Amino acid sequence: MHTDVILVIVIITALAFDFTNGFHDTANVVATSISTGAAAPRVAIAYASLLNFAGAFLSLKVAATVGKDVVDAAVITPTIVFAGLIGAISWNLLTWYFGLPSSSSHALIGGVVGSAVAAVGTKAVLSDGLIGKVLAPAVIAPVVAFLVAGLAITAAYLTVGRLRPGPVTRGYRLGQVASGGLLALAHGTNDAQKTMGIITLALVANGNLSADHFDVPVWVIISSASAIALGTYSGGWRIIKTMGTRIIKMDAAQGFSAQGAGAAVILASSHYGFPLSTTHVISGGVMGAGAGKRLSAVRWGVAGNIILAWIVTLPAAAAIGAATYGLTRAFGTGATGPLIVTVIGLGLAAVAFVRRLRREAPVAA
Amino acid sequence: MVVATVVDTASLLKTVAASFAAGVGVTLVFSVAIYGATRFADFGREDRRFAAFVAGSVALLALAACAAVVVLAIVVMTSK
Repeated sequence: MHTDVILVIVIITALAFDFTNGFHDTANVVATSISTGAAAPRVAIAYASLLNFAGAFLSLKVAATVGKDVVDAAVITPTIVFAGLIGAISWNLLTWYFGLPSSSSHALIGGVVGSAVAAVGTKAVLSDGLIGKVLAPAVIAPVVAFLVAGLAITAAYLTVGRLRPGPVTRGYRLGQVASGGLLALAHGTNDAQKTMGIITLALVANGNLSADHFDVPVWVIISSASAIALGTYSGGWRIIKTMGTRIIKMDAAQGFSAQGAGAAVILASSHYGFPLSTTHVISGGVMGAGAGKRLSAVRWGVAGNIILAWIVTLPAAAAIGAATYGLTRAFGTGATGPLIVTVIGLGLAAVAFVRRLRREAPVAA
Repeated sequence: MVVATVVDTASLLKTVAASFAAGVGVTLVFSVAIYGATRFADFGREDRRFAAFVAGSVALLALAACAAVVVLAIVVMTSK
């Protein structure tokens, strides 16, 4: 009975994580279209959330990787998954509070690995899957997005560089309706599947599904798709204006190239089951589109922060996941630990929101 | 060496190749479509009908190619 209560807490926590993932990534997905004038903010966000929802139904290969190739499902319990999720959400909240760049995907995988190691030891971690399917693609994908966007914008300027700028800009803005849509579709595909993988892992750990045959239930797909779409629709309003021009100031051709590169890398990776940081891939594409025009146009400090975030996120989320598991088990093996940790977590999150909102409140002239 | 043995190099290389082909290819072909459409308008104003027809055809073909790549990508993604 108590394991079913923990399972329910895990599912709600996983969907909350999925919602915050969409909320956090809204700016990444739509900022390029908004900053180049290709779409109005409300239209771009509604369009992105719809395609986030649709993207979640495209494939289940990333869900399979997260659910069975990172940690050994046979030794995992719902409490381990819960602690991992709390590790990921805590790291996301901390980085959001202090305005640091982060990756929800790396935080999720780091959190689950950390809590699994704390509970069972290193034998719980499938190092081949972790290195081969998570870490190696995570390093390569942003670099590929950078190079693809750089080559794409060079090809674009060589093709249309001598034409009148007016029709060219209008053409690429129109193209951004499609490239922005594809990017939102790709984002929904890769990111929603991580939550599907985690919920399915919890169902296997609780004995509701067989570990031998990894199968994501339909209700898990629909709920994960809905959570990320709702998060995207309600998220990121205040940072959208700055996000599109934070790394470079873009023209429509650069926006098209960056979005096309990001969508191509994320969709191709999703097809082969590689869970990526969509934030890092999109940032790589934006920087590549900037560098393709002029190297000095890119704010390389932002690139440095992204690399630092990549290095720090996995171990930091793992440490919080491990500590959360220890705290949860301090209250025994029942549902009391997860319930108390959830209440503490909600309290800390509420305090963080209030303090952050107060800090960002506009000052009267 | 250990990393090389655990990484699914074949899938990773296919991912990189597909990313380059789709990302650079679609942008290049869409740029050709914009080139064709802009030149179609220019030639039309100059009353050069054959040149306008060729430029318009190039634009339409390029747009169709872009749409085909996107549809193909989604079909491949949804196939088991």
